[in-house]
Amino acid sequence: MRLRAGAATEKGLGRERNEDVYVLHLAQGLFAVCDGMGGATAGDVASRIAAATILHEVQQPEAADSAGGLDAGRYRAQSCRLAEAVRESNRLIYTEGRQSSRCEMGTTVVSAWLQHGFASIAHVGDSRAYLWRDTHLETLTQDHTLLEALAREGFEVPGEELQADPRDILLRVVGGEPDVEVDVVEIPVRPGDYLVLCTDGLTRVVSDTIMSASISRLRHPQCICDHLVHTATCSGGTDDVTVMVVEIVDSAA
Amino acid sequence: MAKLVVKFDERVLAEYPVDSEVTIGRLPDNTVVIDNPAVSGHHARIFLEGDDYVVEDLQSKNGTYINEQHVLRGALRHRDVLLVGKHKLVFDELATAEPVPASRRAPTLGKTAYLNTKKHRELLARLRAERARARGQAEPSLETHRTAFLRIVDGQTERQEYCIQNRVSFIGSSEDALVRLHGWWKPKTAAAIVQNDAGFTVTDFDGSTLLNSQSLPEGSQQLKDGDMLEVGGLVMQFGLAAASPAAPPPPVAETA
Repeated sequence: MRLRAGAATEKGLGRERNEDVYVLHLAQGLFAVCDGMGGATAGDVASRIAAATILHEVQQPEAADSAGGLDAGRYRAQSCRLAEAVRESNRLIYTEGRQSSRCEMGTTVVSAWLQHGFASIAHVGDSRAYLWRDTHLETLTQDHTLLEALAREGFEVPGEELQADPRDILLRVVGGEPDVEVDVVEIPVRPGDYLVLCTDGLTRVVSDTIMSASISRLRHPQCICDHLVHTATCSGGTDDVTVMVVEIVDSAA
Repeated sequence: MAKLVVKFDERVLAEYPVDSEVTIGRLPDNTVVIDNPAVSGHHARIFLEGDDYVVEDLQSKNGTYINEQHVLRGALRHRDVLLVGKHKLVFDELATAEPVPASRRAPTLGKTAYLNTKKHRELLARLRAERARARGQAEPSLETHRTAFLRIVDGQTERQEYCIQNRVSFIGSSEDALVRLHGWWKPKTAAAIVQNDAGFTVTDFDGSTLLNSQSLPEGSQQLKDGDMLEVGGLVMQFGLAAASPAAPPPPVAETA
């Protein structure tokens, strides 16, 4: 597969450090965006561990025994390996959080592995993946937030009881519990497709319409990323923003 | 909010709310002061670690015990008994229906909060039950209700058998509960029995309900005839009644 990719990240206004981390490995076809969270320095530790672990696990020649908690008969081997890599990073971050005084820490992960004309997307948390095809932008992931879970069952959102915005409450994070369920999506990709991975720092302030328009107009992955991050910071976003765009130039193996 | 009930010779001496940290000792700078020579100046502390309250012995002379087990450090469960000197401290995690402090609701990770799997299942289960109850009241149901009953096997209750007729029936200390739990540490709602198309399900509210001696990992589970439930110290058997009123017993032949 021939791919072109770009990435951009920007520390949120008034934040001490950027807790977002991305992985861009063109030769491997591996892409990931992680939004770390936790007190003090824990957030960027978690996202860094996740990024490094996923890249390392995917580069191992031997496939792991475990299928990432997936039904190996239903998913492609690359999807199982990617999900298992996310689970492995979960174990490491959870252990690290328990051992060090940093205590609570975690990260979101949205990762994509492109091989043989297929994209495997594995995600946990509220960082998202989108597919842009023929001027149309489609969300590939469902946020693991309380807002999503409540909306799916048609509940009113008990905001005052929770004392927090339900979209700020994650139901799954990498590193939060000893094991984590990883959601996986597989899609065949074709030339002209664009894959977008991004953190909530973007999706909270930049609409899908603007994202889609940026891709249609700019076409160049790095230009799209720069433009979107710039738009997010200009729109008054205070969170860290990370965007990664992968263009499928040629989908042949 | 959780609390500690300090007892001496089974007499309740005091109660203390347990917030993020509580220290126990003989000296007046402790949260829980026990002026007794068997208690060290700073004997032990209880603090919140993740989701759990943990007790840690502060190198006390006579040691700290959880349910008669000597511990240097250990997680506390609902109704665990701490022994400090000769005083017993009963840990009551479900003390009142007061709102749970935010720190225990969703540990904040910077701006984002994380609600663990157990908690968010509990929340969803509660919302589902509340919705079911609201619906049950809104449409007093034209369809024929199946009936079921709970027979008390062990524990003190007003009746020996309860008929389950509503869409949602509660077991707890609240006034609208079908099976009332008595005692000051009983939860308002410990469990709910919800009637749906498939039959009856039990939903656990405080994490202590046992169905056939098993906890309910999913928060709720379908009930079968003859299932045994343990809720708030009561043991009861669930049974399905016949859909139509039971036929009168056959007349007994009179012997002339």
